Amino acid sequence: MRNPKKDSVNRREFLRTAAAGTAALVVPPVTTRAAQPAKPHIAGAPPLLKAVAPDGNPSVEILTVDRPGSDFMVDVLKSLDFEYLCANPGNSFRSLHESLINYGKNQSPEFITCCHEESSVAMGHGYAKIEGKPLLVCVHGTVGLQHASMAIYDAFCDRVPVYIILGNFSDAALRFGQVDWTHSAQDPAAMIRDYVKWDDNAVSLEAFAESAVRAYKIATTPPMMPVALVAGHELQENPAPDGANLAVPKLSTISPPVGDSAAVAEAARMLVAAENPVLITDRVARTAAGLAGMIELAETLQAPVIDRNGRMNFPTRHPLNMTERAGATIAGADVIAGLELTDFWSAVNSVRGQVYPETRPVTKPGTKLISVTANDLFAKSNYQDFQRYQPVDLAIAADAEATLPSLIEAVKRQLTDDRKRAFADRGAKIAAAHQQVMQAQRDAATSGWDASPISTARLSMELWAQIKNEDWSFVSNCQFVSRWPLRLWDFKKHYQYIGAEGGYGVGYGAPASVGAALANRKHGRLTVSIQNDGDLMFAPGVLWTAAHSRIPILILMHNNRAYHQELMQIQIMANQHQRGIERASIGNVLTDPAIDYAKLAQSMGVHGEGPISDPKDLAPAIRRAIEVVKTGSPALVDVLTQPR
Amino acid sequence: MRQLKLLALAFAVVLGCHCVEAQAPAKTSGDIDNGKHLFASAGCATCHGAKAEGTNLAPAIAPPPVDLPGLIAYARKPTGKMPPVPIGTADDQQIGDIYAFLKSIAPASSSAVESLKGDPENGKKLFAAYGCYECHGRQGAGAAIAPRVGPPALSLAGVVRYVRAPTGQMPPYTAKVVSDQDLADIYAYLKSFPAPQPASTIPLLNQQRAPRPAESSFFFACSELVPQYSGSVRRRA
Repeated sequence: MRNPKKDSVNRREFLRTAAAGTAALVVPPVTTRAAQPAKPHIAGAPPLLKAVAPDGNPSVEILTVDRPGSDFMVDVLKSLDFEYLCANPGNSFRSLHESLINYGKNQSPEFITCCHEESSVAMGHGYAKIEGKPLLVCVHGTVGLQHASMAIYDAFCDRVPVYIILGNFSDAALRFGQVDWTHSAQDPAAMIRDYVKWDDNAVSLEAFAESAVRAYKIATTPPMMPVALVAGHELQENPAPDGANLAVPKLSTISPPVGDSAAVAEAARMLVAAENPVLITDRVARTAAGLAGMIELAETLQAPVIDRNGRMNFPTRHPLNMTERAGATIAGADVIAGLELTDFWSAVNSVRGQVYPETRPVTKPGTKLISVTANDLFAKSNYQDFQRYQPVDLAIAADAEATLPSLIEAVKRQLTDDRKRAFADRGAKIAAAHQQVMQAQRDAATSGWDASPISTARLSMELWAQIKNEDWSFVSNCQFVSRWPLRLWDFKKHYQYIGAEGGYGVGYGAPASVGAALANRKHGRLTVSIQNDGDLMFAPGVLWTAAHSRIPILILMHNNRAYHQELMQIQIMANQHQRGIERASIGNVLTDPAIDYAKLAQSMGVHGEGPISDPKDLAPAIRRAIEVVKTGSPALVDVLTQPR
Repeated sequence: MRQLKLLALAFAVVLGCHCVEAQAPAKTSGDIDNGKHLFASAGCATCHGAKAEGTNLAPAIAPPPVDLPGLIAYARKPTGKMPPVPIGTADDQQIGDIYAFLKSIAPASSSAVESLKGDPENGKKLFAAYGCYECHGRQGAGAAIAPRVGPPALSLAGVVRYVRAPTGQMPPYTAKVVSDQDLADIYAYLKSFPAPQPASTIPLLNQQRAPRPAESSFFFACSELVPQYSGSVRRRA
């Protein structure tokens, strides 16, 4: 609780005028309402009932409330089937907190205590990518939201739904004191309006119910994004008005937008007619059906797939997977279909340059481009996550996963025997090339195999050796370990990889992994992550959350003791400026003292080992940690690694 | 006219080492005209430029930064993202012709750099101090963002030429901040590393090995020098 109450006098004054829901305060509502003086209320707010004792004494203090508005809020939230609430406690939503744990029995949702609002939202981010639906997050509408905002931006950019309730002391007349004023805002969601899909500030319980259900519907309709709903302190704590028509609206079944049939048929025609079609995926597969659809489409066309890995879109060892030879594959294409491709431009253009960027297309002249993305259905202006504009020949504004079945059928309808034979020949060549690529990855992994600090390839393969026969889920971005898991492991289920931050906001990794592990827990999956050291230090308290809530996850530290991406960036600047190239580490390294992540983990009740710098010690440590994880607890192994 | 189905000499990883031997004895002479034709028709020029002067996709390779056996070995098993060139796709003589063409464009000048003696101990210190390790790893083993450089495939002169004016993401190390002698020391340090062991000898790299490929040759003709994950370069880790 960041806001202990200091002003009991104000509390007393409030209670004297608070709405009464008890039978003891019997005053005919209509009469009382009629007698209520015109006080400045938010339009539509339930009128405050002046407390009047049975003897008519208006100064009697009201001490209890039987059915606070927050109970009804819990009824509404339970209808949305949230499994968990991730929150750091805050007094601006204290009534809702209490209603959730007592009236709601701390079930559906169950309160998960977080040590930072950024962790709360990022946990929701990771959870949703595994479970396919949002969890609930509560934050102060001011200081909590400020903490949470980067994580919200990450989820927004990653097109992931997170359902956020913002506590606020909306009615200034009902604020208790200094802290309440400081933790109040006219328009709490203004701060994040640029990077949530929708927000509302309901001022009655009836409106809250509608907005709550509407928010869920909006958040989970592609393109999915976070939503925010303000829950006023007075709306939570005042009794539900007598006679109010409080009903929970039904949540509609959501059918994601599917591509126009004529456009889909045209896309199919282009793909079937192409000699070298290429499929580029990014955030296509939300579910097992999406992954299966991608496999069927690729196999029907015998077309190579380049997976940019925003989700687990295509099996890494599928013969048509040409992700590790993306440039050559794209440059040879005559038709390219970008499916939920976040950045189509960078897929078909290259950028380089020391001081000024130079760009040039990668594709050959005349290559036709098709896009299928729900991003065409919704855009905001301020933040530039929409990426550079890429003209395409056919833009289908629709959810790619939902469009896959009709696209596959359209492709099949246009197949001829001649095309099938051509496809078979093409597929055989791609399969052969895929094997060459796979061998090239293995060859590349041999570099520095026995090095100390441990190579990221060795780290990845030592981990793979221990989990490959489990039902595993790898929930961290592996960009910073040279993508070795994606290059070498056998990914084939949709929950085995969940992409990255979305907004490249560091601090996402640890809490998102724990959130994903929370989702995986009931499925009995072994959740593993390779955790960047700098990322963990943004909000390491999530380790405590994992321990406290018994969230099983194996965390393998990629401890290169630096904010290494920035270190390289400063090195580039030092080289360009020619003022000395030996001091790039200033401001970019995490040494002196070196952080002991095993002890950090242990201090929060997490099994911790390391630091390990000899690769021979790694396998036994991982095995020990997995044994701990299999008991239902988190474990961390600190590994000193090569930079990348 | 012999045709190359693929020869994308995209030396984005021009500092990378080669760890395989050439498949056939390399000739020291080649057909310049045929090499010129192949350089254009096979797509090499697409990435390296018509005169191998380098583009935003691939570095300059004229004069060639390696000897002919080195070029053949690199083409067979590149260390970066460049597609390999199987012997069934381009034989050694064809690569030799291209090599001759590259030499004809810009003959290698005799360089005083080659006569420098390097101090590997000082090179080890400089490799760390000058930030080489940041991308290439502490033992020069490379990473996704930069090739293996220990041991180097290039001549010292080739290394010096590249680091002075790199064409990939590598920042320029001008003579103002790194002397030729410093580079000779770093080069000596990198030379001290053995070539990596074959993947086939490492059990962890042979888990659930994929089925053998069908008999075929790689048919895409172009460069691999595309920044697949361009958005990643601004992040911290």
